[in-house]
Formats: sequence, structure tokens, C-alpha cells
Amino acid sequence: MRKVMTLLLALSLALPLSLSSAFAGEYPSKPIKIIVPSKAGGSTDASARLFIKAAKNYWPHAKFVIKNVPGSGGQKGFEEIAKAKKDGHTIGMVFTTQIVAHVVSKRARYTLDSFHVMGNVMQDPLIVAVPTKSPITDMAGFVKAAKAGSLTTAVNGIGSDDFVAAKMLERQTGITLNLLPTKGSTEQKAMILGGHVDACIMNITQLHGQHKAGTARIIAILDANRSDILPDVKTAVEQGFPVNMTATRGFVAPAGVDKKILAKLDALLADVQKDEAFLAECKKDVLCLLPMSGEEYLAYLQDLQAETQVFYDQNPW
Amino acid sequence: MIVESLYALMAPFSLLAVVIGTVSGVLVGGMPGLTATMAVALLIPVTFALEPLTGLLLMGGVYCGAMYGGSIPAILLRTPGTPAAVATALEGYPMTQKGQGGLALKVSVIASFVGGTFSALVLLLVAPILAKFALTFGPPEYFLLALVGLAGIVSMADDGSSLIKALISGLIGLILAVVGTDPMSGMLRYTLNIPDLFDGIAFMPALIGLFSISQMLELTGTGSIVADTSVITQIKREPMPKGLGKFIGTGSLVGTIVGILPGEGATIAAFLSYNVARQRSKNKDLFGKGNPEGIAAAEAGNNGCVGGSLIPTLTLGIPGNSVAAALLGGLLVHGLIPGPELFTKHGVMTYAFILSLFLANIVFLMTGLFMAPYFARISLTPTSLLIPVVCLFSVLGSYAMNNSILDISVALICGIAAVFLHKTGFSLGALILGLILGPIAETGFAQALIMGHGSYSIFFNRPQSLSLWFIIFLLLIPPVYQSIKRYRSRPETEVPCTET
Repeated sequence: MRKVMTLLLALSLALPLSLSSAFAGEYPSKPIKIIVPSKAGGSTDASARLFIKAAKNYWPHAKFVIKNVPGSGGQKGFEEIAKAKKDGHTIGMVFTTQIVAHVVSKRARYTLDSFHVMGNVMQDPLIVAVPTKSPITDMAGFVKAAKAGSLTTAVNGIGSDDFVAAKMLERQTGITLNLLPTKGSTEQKAMILGGHVDACIMNITQLHGQHKAGTARIIAILDANRSDILPDVKTAVEQGFPVNMTATRGFVAPAGVDKKILAKLDALLADVQKDEAFLAECKKDVLCLLPMSGEEYLAYLQDLQAETQVFYDQNPW
Repeated sequence: MIVESLYALMAPFSLLAVVIGTVSGVLVGGMPGLTATMAVALLIPVTFALEPLTGLLLMGGVYCGAMYGGSIPAILLRTPGTPAAVATALEGYPMTQKGQGGLALKVSVIASFVGGTFSALVLLLVAPILAKFALTFGPPEYFLLALVGLAGIVSMADDGSSLIKALISGLIGLILAVVGTDPMSGMLRYTLNIPDLFDGIAFMPALIGLFSISQMLELTGTGSIVADTSVITQIKREPMPKGLGKFIGTGSLVGTIVGILPGEGATIAAFLSYNVARQRSKNKDLFGKGNPEGIAAAEAGNNGCVGGSLIPTLTLGIPGNSVAAALLGGLLVHGLIPGPELFTKHGVMTYAFILSLFLANIVFLMTGLFMAPYFARISLTPTSLLIPVVCLFSVLGSYAMNNSILDISVALICGIAAVFLHKTGFSLGALILGLILGPIAETGFAQALIMGHGSYSIFFNRPQSLSLWFIIFLLLIPPVYQSIKRYRSRPETEVPCTET
């Protein structure tokens, strides 16, 4: 009896093992984990979920799971992607400027080389906004007012995309802003609507509703093109101030994964970027697209890191 | 439009959504570690598949239910299910120990109901005007509001522990709150290079440790929470104590006002109304030893937050707290952009949602009143069964907040430390208050100085600031005066004040 039991036990242990090894040759042999370095319900999380929905059309047999790893401005999640097993069953999302800001401030236990950059999907351009009561209506007026007296400008924390954009604006125009770091867009919104600050720099998706409702005024989009969300708002370039800054959200895999698998993943992302249903869903959820290939996005990240490094060296945090 | 909304709400599917949402909210709120924010965030993907209204009703129900649900374990086990229920635990648990757990639950559900209904009424009738009021609060006011909350530490002094010990506890909380990233310069402070600490000591694990785990440690060696089991049989017919109306009213008002301010949460609302109740009460000596007045104020306060926090969310798109933020995400997913349009173009849906809050309040009132005698039996559970179960949930809850192993250690360390602090007469309530309000006070102070270009006059030249200063003095003078009086009248008791 005991022998039978032992045999059964051994079999039951061996069976799943043999099954999994039988399919090891084929990728993906198990669910692909997507690490999202932010909370469930945020816009990065929403992007990942839309990606999965579209990806299932191209890889009908693959399963995807999302793991939310929020904290420390995404750093925890970025590190988890970099450290993940290099079998192609773990990929993840990154967002700027945080991904490079952590490297620049020497806090990250990864570098850009720790990742294979698959490509970018979304963006969220930055905007300059003022309270509705403010006399400022355009960038020229903003710069003029900033030269006359220091404008208190709310940004998200130090090292964020808002902060880097503000620093770029300062360098471009020679003004000095009285930068007010906040805990995030909620606080920035309350300050701009309540008129507690002179201006704020934040992402377009965070304030477009207030602009439409007439409770805040967006004076410029810091992007090469106008946004579909607010077609009437001029870009800073159009107004003569060539400052471009956007928050990007893309996909990466850990470096060192088999090249064939990486090629498959890159192709999947390229397919999703062109998927009609995916594009329609993004538009409905007010997510702005910025498709970039892996090479393009890597170059973008390297440039951004170099630029952030300059600001860090001038004024470390 | 209201009639149309009522019609939409009365559809069987909508009613079902409210009931399911509220009941599951009560359950989520009741588990240590699972919070209303988490529940609403988890519901967002579910609502993709539903009609927008059904999704909203579900989320609203969860929000209302969870605010109340947190008070159940707080009263019965001194393990608050949500941070907002800490103040409730301070009064509710001593009542349970005296065998009055059922009564405490009854007080809590009724106070929650009144607070929730009052704030929903305010939301329905005067939302736009109050939203404007909320916007007048800037960084200087938030700093002062945090001071109003911190003033509560002083009044925690009169329960057994001396004023000095309460202040030390508060200071420990404030010091712990310093850990993390400096909100202004982005520099790291005391983080030991552990990324998990970059955002500061996570608040929920600390809370679980300070209250849940320490409580379980203290219970080892006793048979059950209620020492004298004979008293518990009488609770069913025990009438509601008289004179609670005043405290429920105070709580509802304070809760709604604090709820409206963007970024201020139910936790602060509950503590503030608890503190105000303590000042206004005629039975001050009973506080900390099981005073239903404290439960009434705290519960009316945290449920008052629900309607209040939705006011800036719906009218301005500025979420009043983290739950409202998750709810806002749910609105945006369906293309509903907060603002005047929400009340005109999408008015039917918005008003149906607001009206559903009344319904949700009624649902949890019924659930609470019906279930109170059964819940109260939890306090009779043998500790050999209770301790492992609660500890399991505590560890699970601390981990689940941020998927962080470090948070479990935080909870365990806080738990052990809390046992010693509690035994030596230091106030855990004051410590938590310091930990919650420290970051708010610090950020508000620094931001205000940047706003004022370095001048301190910004704290004094705004009307809102001045009225907050006035409130601070009102709250501070009586306890300090009493403390001095006690010190003078009984000099012999002042030396050995370590143990009760």
C-alpha cells in the first residue's frame, strides 16, 4: 500500500513537470506577466489593460496577467522588471521622466541597459495653465509676467516630468520660476482652481476637463503638435517658445532575453500599435497615442536622461 | 430631472447594484488591511463591462458601506478595519470589554447613518457653493488644519496618561513621519537606501501593527475579550443612551466640512469630530473608558466625509480623498467629465448616483441593526481562535497594501513596540495622529512659505487662516487649563503616574 502511495505521489509530482517541459520549446509556455509600476486604476494601468485586450487578437493562445507594483515613483516596479527572469514571460511598462530620473539621481538599481526597450505606446503632453482670473492668456504674457516678478508655479514632485519641463522653460526663456512642488495632480488642480498659485505645469489629461468647464485656462501645450483633446489650444512652439515635453508610457522587457523571443514581443507591440480597435478604445478613454519603435524609444530615453542629468548637476535633489 | 433619476434608480438592476455594493463594502471595510480605496479601484475594471450608472451605483455603495464597516472590528477587537475607525476603537473597545459591544455597534451604525445621510443631503442641495468654499483652502490653511488635528493630542492626555506622555507619543509619530522623501527638495531622509521606505513609513501597516497586532499580543493569556460573560446576555434590550444627538450632529457637520476639502480624508474628519465631542461633553472623564458619545461623533464624522468628498469630485474634478479619486477614475472611463455638464447634460445619472447614496445608507443601517447582536458575539470568541485569524488578516493586509514584504516587518515592529508603549501609559492615538498629520503639516508649511516668497505673514493675513487659529486656541485652552488645575490640586498623584 505504501509503495502504491509513493508511486502515486511521485507521479503526481512528475506529471506537471513533464507537461511543462514538453512545451518549453514553444513561447509563450505560461502566462506572460506585465509589471505595471503604478496603482491599479491609474492611466498606466489602463494602458496595460487595453494592450492585453488588443494583444489577445494576435496571440490567441497566450495569457497575460498584470502585476501592479506601485511605490517610490515607479522605482520599485522598474527594478522588478530589470531583475525578472529572462525567459520572456515577464515584461513591463515604464514611464518618463521617472525611469531616467531615478538613474540620474543615483537611486536606481538599474540602468537603461538593464532593459530591452520594446517601444512606446502612449503619451501625455505637458501644458502650462493659469487660473481663470489671471491676466495671462498666452506664453508671451507668461514670460513677460515671469520677468516682471517671480511667478509661483506648481509642479509635481522634484524630478518629475513637470519639473523637467519647468526647468526647460526656464532655460529656454531665461526666466526664473518660484517652483512649488506638490504631491500630485489633485493638489495642483486645487491650487490652480483656487487661485493659490500663478501657474502650474502638468499633464493635459489631468486638466482638460477643467479647461473645457472654464474653471482653469490652459495657455500652451508643450508638444510639437496640437492635441486632439483640445484642438483650440496653441502649442508653445507656435507661440515662439520651442519647448517640448511629454510623459511617455512604453513597454520594456528585461535585457538578456533570447533574441527570437524579443523579436516576437516587438512584433506583437507593433501590431497592437496599429490595431484599429485599440486606437478607438484609447480615444474613448482620452489617452493620447505616440507610437515609437524600440530603437526610437531607446534613443528618446537616452536623450532625456542626458538632459535630466544637466538639470540634476546644476541643482541636485 | 430628479423624477427621472429616481426612476432610473428604482430599476431592479440598479437597486441590486446598490445593495450588493453596500453589503460588500461593509465586509471590505471590516477586514483589516482592505480599504475602501482598494475596493473601489478594483471595481473600476469590472465597471467597464457594466452600464455607467450601474458601475457608479456599485462604487458608491462600496464607499458608503466600507466607511461604516471599518467600525465593526474597531469596536469589537480594537483592530480598526480602516484608518478612519481608529477614533471609534478608542471608545468602542472599552465598551466591548464591559460587555456593551452590542450597544456600541448600535450607536455606531446609527451615527454612521445620520452622518452619511446628512452629507448626501448637503451634496444634493448645495454642492456648487461649497465647492467654491473648498477652493479657498490653500497650503497655509492645510498647515493650520493639521495643527487643529494635532491639538487633539493634548486632549488625549486626560485618559490615564499624563500630558507629557501624550505629547511624547505625538512627537514619536511626527518623527516617524519624517522618514521618506522630502516633499520639497526630493532628498531622501532616513530611508536606509530601501526603496520601500522612499514613500515614507506606510501608514496602513503601521496602523495594523499599532492596533491589531499589539491588541492580539495583549490578549494572549486571557480567555476572551469580555472578562465577565454573564453581562453580555443583557445587551439586546439595552436602550440607546440619551443625549447622543448633539454629538452625532457635531460629527456630521465636521465630517462633511473636512470631507469637502480636497486631500483631507475621513481619518482626520473622525479624529476632529471625536476631539470636538470630547471638548463639548459633560462626561469628559468617561472618554477613553468607553463613552458612546465618542463613537457617535467619530462615526458620524467619517461617514459625513462620504458626501463631502464627492462635492469637489463631481463639481470640479478634484477628488476629496483617495476613494473619491478612484471613483473619479471610474467616471472618466465612461466619458463623464466632472463639471457643470455632469449636473445638466448627464444630470439623470448624476442625481441617480447622489440619490443612491441615501439608499446605501439605509441598506447598511438595516444590515448593521440586524446583524449587531450576531457581530457582538465575535467578542466572545475564544482568543485561541481569534488571535491566529486576526493575525493572519493583519499580515495579509499589511502586505496587500503595496505588495511589500518590508511592510509586514513594519507591522510586526509597530505591534511589539505598541505593547510596551500601551503598558507604560503612552497614547497610541496620539502617535497615530502625529504619523497621519505630520506630512500634511510639513508640506502645508513648506508650500505656504514658497507661496509667500519666504514670508511668515501668509499664515496670518488670510481670513480662513485666522479662523483656524481661533479654533486651535479654543481646542487648546480647556485641556491645558484642566491639566494645570489637576496638577495643582493633587500634587501627590503627580509623581507615580506610570500605571493605572
